[in-house]
Amino acid sequence: MGSAPSDGAADRPLAAYKILIAGGFGAGKTTLVGAISEVRPLHTEESLSTESAGSDDLRGVDGKTTTTVAMDFGRITLSSRLVLYLFGTPGQERFWFMWDELSYGALGAVVLADTRRLADCFPAVDYFEKRQLPFVIAINRFDDSPHYDPEDVRIALDLDPRVPVVLCDVRRPASAKQVLITLVEHLLVTEGNK
Amino acid sequence: MTRLGERAMNAGDMWAGRDAGPVVRPYALTGGRTEPADGEVLDLIAVIVASRQAAGAGDPAGHSPEHRRILSLCQRPVTVADVAADTTLPVGVVRVLLADLILQGRLTVLPQRPAGEQPSADLLKEVLHGLRAL
Repeated sequence: MGSAPSDGAADRPLAAYKILIAGGFGAGKTTLVGAISEVRPLHTEESLSTESAGSDDLRGVDGKTTTTVAMDFGRITLSSRLVLYLFGTPGQERFWFMWDELSYGALGAVVLADTRRLADCFPAVDYFEKRQLPFVIAINRFDDSPHYDPEDVRIALDLDPRVPVVLCDVRRPASAKQVLITLVEHLLVTEGNK
Repeated sequence: MTRLGERAMNAGDMWAGRDAGPVVRPYALTGGRTEPADGEVLDLIAVIVASRQAAGAGDPAGHSPEHRRILSLCQRPVTVADVAADTTLPVGVVRVLLADLILQGRLTVLPQRPAGEQPSADLLKEVLHGLRAL
């Protein structure tokens, strides 16, 4: 790994691809991105819509019209010309509009599921199904989470039988890496079926 | 820096008070502009690089320290997200500054796979191979 340019790197095209990491708050998005990639802080400056006024405590900040959103952002250098970027999708619904930009041109997505709060990943599943962006479900195993069979999760999420459902521990780099491998293998199968 | 500085000062007057935000709001660095000058919103992973013909050209008046920092980062191909992370500037601000440099011919956007196009099996195999080798 490492992003140091090799000789003549400036002359070579750089191919950049992105994979989205979605899931409910606390499902492990930040941990997964940190386990597998070179992480750096990434901020966007977003307008605070009036709808969000209810969820934000705006007392004492009259006139504030934008807010800084921190995104999980990681870079995986696969070769001198191929770089994979991971973007954690902002969890709160008020940042929903950012998903359109993030998913545009993405290879696919990982939806992290926490079996203690499985419903938290419904919006992400719905979104990627509607956008027809291929995704995998990665069940992040927490020490106190009930033990579910992946197939039970598939039924609970009413998933297409072709969508892979895997167990993972995103704190472990090898496990995080396997989740991404599962996604790309799924993309290859999807691609081959066209 | 005078032009930007004045704008920041004026904007600062409006924020004066207990609840003022940061001393320099991010868009003060763009002179208050929130939209890229060319109207093109660069994708987060659009790849940009300093134009070869611009190398050695003088530093045009109007370049802020942020413009210069971005130019130095773009001596090799980088993405918009990389530039934002490396400069710790918000993505929206980086897009405005990049558009300035693109319009001046100092930066070039490198062609990528069209975003609406499905990735090829060859590319996916290359990604898979790279991941397995990590």
